[in-house]
Amino acid sequence: MALEVLLVEDSKTQAAQIKETLESVGLRVRVAYDGPDGIREAMENPPALVVLDVKLPSMDGFQVCRRLKRNPSTQNIPIIMLTEKADPKSTMSGLREGADDYIPKDIFASEHLIETLQELGILE
Amino acid sequence: MAEVTSPYKMRPPVMQVRVEDSMDIMIVRDTARRAAGLLGFSPAHRAQLASAAATLAELVLKTGEAHTLHLNGVVKGMKAGLQISSETPWLAGVSANNVLVALKSKMGDLVDEIMLLNEPETTILMVMWLNEDRS
Repeated sequence: MALEVLLVEDSKTQAAQIKETLESVGLRVRVAYDGPDGIREAMENPPALVVLDVKLPSMDGFQVCRRLKRNPSTQNIPIIMLTEKADPKSTMSGLREGADDYIPKDIFASEHLIETLQELGILE
Repeated sequence: MAEVTSPYKMRPPVMQVRVEDSMDIMIVRDTARRAAGLLGFSPAHRAQLASAAATLAELVLKTGEAHTLHLNGVVKGMKAGLQISSETPWLAGVSANNVLVALKSKMGDLVDEIMLLNEPETTILMVMWLNEDRS
């Protein structure tokens, strides 16, 4: 059975694009459109991986990452932050909150995402 | 093309990106991730190195001059690392201390070392070393 990824992304357009990339490599994808919903989804039904945007309504991706990494039931789920905020400060904020990778949304994003999925053992 | 400067012994990978406009910043970021991956850095540390390389490329691009960013494996004793460097001739004669304070405040958390070398050309150089926690 295919592994499931929880995608936390508020833009429906971008969520559809990322979902398509993840499904193209055989993963199942659940989407949450804001931070609190993402945390609830991750706690109720822990996925194999969380792909997390930074700019989210009501709670940003850094806060979501921190909460998931501090909760014993979700702390071992790998988190990849996929974001438009590519500056050094944001990168270090994401990694310090426990993200396993921090990938800017640029023309190489899908490629980097799939490489990291392989690296983390989510894909063979 | 000028040789790459380093206080350390160099080893593969040896990569370079010509940076002429903002589109090239993405190529720098991608190339840094690949170089870091070849050396065995974890995805999180690849992200740090990619951010450092892109930030250096952006800073140098702001001068309005095209430049070449170099990414090289380096060795110090038993340690391997990735060096990111770019010649910055317009910094010749500028206080190294002032330049380093500015660079470290922007990128100091991303890499282990930031240096400004003056010979043979003025060059900004950054290194992250590979260790067990980073692979």
